[in-house]
Amino acid sequence: MNRREKALTTARRGTIITGLALIGLAGVYVRALMFTPIERFQGPAQKILYVHAPVATVALLAFGITGVLSLLYLIFKDPRLDHLSASSAEIGVALSVVLLTTGPIWAKPIWGTWWDWDARLTSTLFLFLLFVGYLVLRGALTDFGMRARFSAVLGVLALGLVPFIHMTVYWFRTLHPSPVLLKPEAPSMPGVMLVTLLSAIGVVAVLYVGFLMQRYAVTVLEDIREEEAAGGLS
Amino acid sequence: MASGLFSAAAVIAAKDIAVEWRTKTALVSSLVFAILVLAILYFARDATAVSAFEVAPGVLWVTFTFAGMLGLNRAFLLERENHALDGLRLTQATPPAIFLGKMVGNALFIGLVELVSLPLFVLFYNVPIWSRLPMLMLVIAMATLAFVSVGTLLSAMVVRTRFSEVMLPVLLLPFLVPPIVSAVQVTWRILADRPLAEMTGWLSLLGAFDVVFFMLSLMLFEAIIIE
Amino acid sequence: MDYPDNGAYMVAAYIIAAVILIGYAALLVYRIRKLR
Repeated sequence: MNRREKALTTARRGTIITGLALIGLAGVYVRALMFTPIERFQGPAQKILYVHAPVATVALLAFGITGVLSLLYLIFKDPRLDHLSASSAEIGVALSVVLLTTGPIWAKPIWGTWWDWDARLTSTLFLFLLFVGYLVLRGALTDFGMRARFSAVLGVLALGLVPFIHMTVYWFRTLHPSPVLLKPEAPSMPGVMLVTLLSAIGVVAVLYVGFLMQRYAVTVLEDIREEEAAGGLS
Repeated sequence: MASGLFSAAAVIAAKDIAVEWRTKTALVSSLVFAILVLAILYFARDATAVSAFEVAPGVLWVTFTFAGMLGLNRAFLLERENHALDGLRLTQATPPAIFLGKMVGNALFIGLVELVSLPLFVLFYNVPIWSRLPMLMLVIAMATLAFVSVGTLLSAMVVRTRFSEVMLPVLLLPFLVPPIVSAVQVTWRILADRPLAEMTGWLSLLGAFDVVFFMLSLMLFEAIIIE
Repeated sequence: MDYPDNGAYMVAAYIIAAVILIGYAALLVYRIRKLR
């Protein structure tokens, strides 16, 4: 199988996985909206958590993977690492859009204000902007090698930046509710809500994998097209 | 060999300074820009409700940041014309030496802009800094180091693109959030005569950022200029 | 009803999230198709 066929196979498999994940998402939606109890003090708006928190986890994961793959690219110079890294970055950006929209929609009824500069959402905003810059930089560089190297450098820098952004914003102001899952004692969510949350995380993770495969295939196919346009190097 | 590293860096920095000093275009532009920003921001508030003193720390750092970004592009723009970057690589200078040389050149450039705009800042905003000068110098030095470390690396990348003047701020500003926020937090505490204990947290964040990003930028620079 | 009446926010957030995620998936499928 040549590169093109391999990419198309990856695309096909990725699309299937994405499709399954979206069906799973529909299932989570049904469970969250109809079969998970309403939280007494926060009301139905609390259920936004079941969408917002899993997407936040996977978005951070996506950006982290971009960072690690960037580092690996600088060491091993394998172009596939660059393709994966860039794909993960774009998916992270897409997921961040979900975060930056659902976040304020959750905040308004729960905290009384659309935007409050709390540590996590503000960090997400800066990461979003940074990785939009990453994608713009890639778009502005036509030389494959330069694009891969420069993206990788930016990816590693971004990885280093994340803890500093978080510390900065956290120290400046924090209002985000204390973590519900990652406490040493038992999580303070009742079981039925926890199951909804965890299954949502699982579904979004699978969605990420599907997206990654699809986006990776697109990157490879675009590269092949550019090579052919430049003079038949397929 | 360490001495080779520093002497090569020094030569590169000296060259950049000499080239800039001949016309002083970027320097004068940055200075004028800084003064204009200081002046405009003075008027950008409800003067009956907000004192100049209250906005001063933020204004100072916004001014330094934006005037500094004007200067960063200049460093590698020199080499973009005439493919001089290739010439630079053909010399004995290793990538770390080139990075250090460029960084020092940037630091001196921005330092000069800061040096000239600081008295004007005191004048416009009526801020008593003279008694607190040492601490202020320290935080300015630390934040400037953060700025030129990441700025030198990113400007080397961005100079290869068509819209480098726009791309540099877009890529650089997220990285400047931790150091600039820390610098502002320390600056207002210095000006308000707060005890040192209140500043140590922000200063250590700034210091940690300096260490991490100086090292990262130094190490990553090679990937930018070597194929 | 002893809980706050903010169901509208929940619906809005769920819809927006679904639109973005399905939209992105559709975008990817479209791009793959274009490059075939």
